[in-house]
Amino acid sequence: MGGVSVEGGNKSGRRTVDSEINLIPMIDLFIVCLSFLLITAVWSQMARINANAQVPGPPRTDEEVEKAEPEKMLTVEMKQDDRFVLIWKSGATVHATSEVPRKGVPTDLGGVNVVRYPDLGKEIAKQWKEYGSHQNDNDRKQDQAILSVDNRAPFSEIIAVIDAVYSPKRTFKGEEITAFNVTFSAR
Amino acid sequence: MSAKKGHRHFHHEMIKAPGRRLMHAVPLKYVQKRISGGGGKNVNAGLNLTSFIDFLIVVVVFLLMSFSASGEVPVDKNTKLPNAENTVSMLDAPIVAISGTNILVDGAPAGSTRPIEDSGRLQKIDDLHNILKNKRELWKQIHPKSTFPGVVVMQVDHRVPALVVKSVFQTAAFAGYPNVSFMVGQIPKADKAGGGEH
Repeated sequence: MGGVSVEGGNKSGRRTVDSEINLIPMIDLFIVCLSFLLITAVWSQMARINANAQVPGPPRTDEEVEKAEPEKMLTVEMKQDDRFVLIWKSGATVHATSEVPRKGVPTDLGGVNVVRYPDLGKEIAKQWKEYGSHQNDNDRKQDQAILSVDNRAPFSEIIAVIDAVYSPKRTFKGEEITAFNVTFSAR
Repeated sequence: MSAKKGHRHFHHEMIKAPGRRLMHAVPLKYVQKRISGGGGKNVNAGLNLTSFIDFLIVVVVFLLMSFSASGEVPVDKNTKLPNAENTVSMLDAPIVAISGTNILVDGAPAGSTRPIEDSGRLQKIDDLHNILKNKRELWKQIHPKSTFPGVVVMQVDHRVPALVVKSVFQTAAFAGYPNVSFMVGQIPKADKAGGGEH
């Protein structure tokens, strides 16, 4: 039997300070814990990826509407099969347009083939440093990215592109957040 | 005299000359060694408790660390979700699932994708809109002092066309759920490639 020895060095005939842990109930407890945790364990790792519909609500009567300049937004067009088109514009003013070859990198995830676009992610990160409006650590707002998708595109392609748009990160009060907030183009 | 006799009788009862023993007819030496019990290795196997307890502790600690109190999100067997790397953890919100041609809200039917695919243009799905609107009203009645989060989680198969996804997305937004999340499988973050760290 296992025990915990607490040597007191007292030999005056008083009660011994050696104490022992009864191992059998301890092992029983461990086995019960183990069984419970194994039964309730969740093995599939599910997560979510955000998108924002940005539906403007009715104007509030108690607030005065500020006339601010429209912010720069990134539009990612994925309508062509061979390239992505990145357009930075604020309102009707186009600040920059560039093209990124649509080269999907297949990644094998335990038998599941996933296509990803790391080049698109790198290019968006580079452009965000140049054109992004919300890069300050104290700025709660994120830059807006609008996804212009072909109606026939499968959902996995949309997620691959959203994943690439979310790859640039910044901090907000020391906490890591994505640089962009994604929404879909209405057309 | 009688006591002596009794004593002799007692010894006679207790100690007997060994008789025939099981398996001794087997000519194999190792069998005889095993059954005789003399000089052979003990057949009783002992379990080392220290290593056994160490093992139990390691397994219990690992399972406790990976324990999720939120439980498992039900995913339809026919739905294969896409995978992504830059994700956030799941939250408790109504789940809009697109499985085959059916649209389900928390498992209850809420329309079909067929009319959207047939028309080839963005459409508002009336059943989905009404169900989500009712859910929103119910939430507001239950939590009168809280701000409605307007979050809905979409569980979409990886082959579903963008037209259907956008239609469901817009319907959810019109029903008062502008914060839409897509449920995905988690890709482990291998490196920071493509990430513009600020």
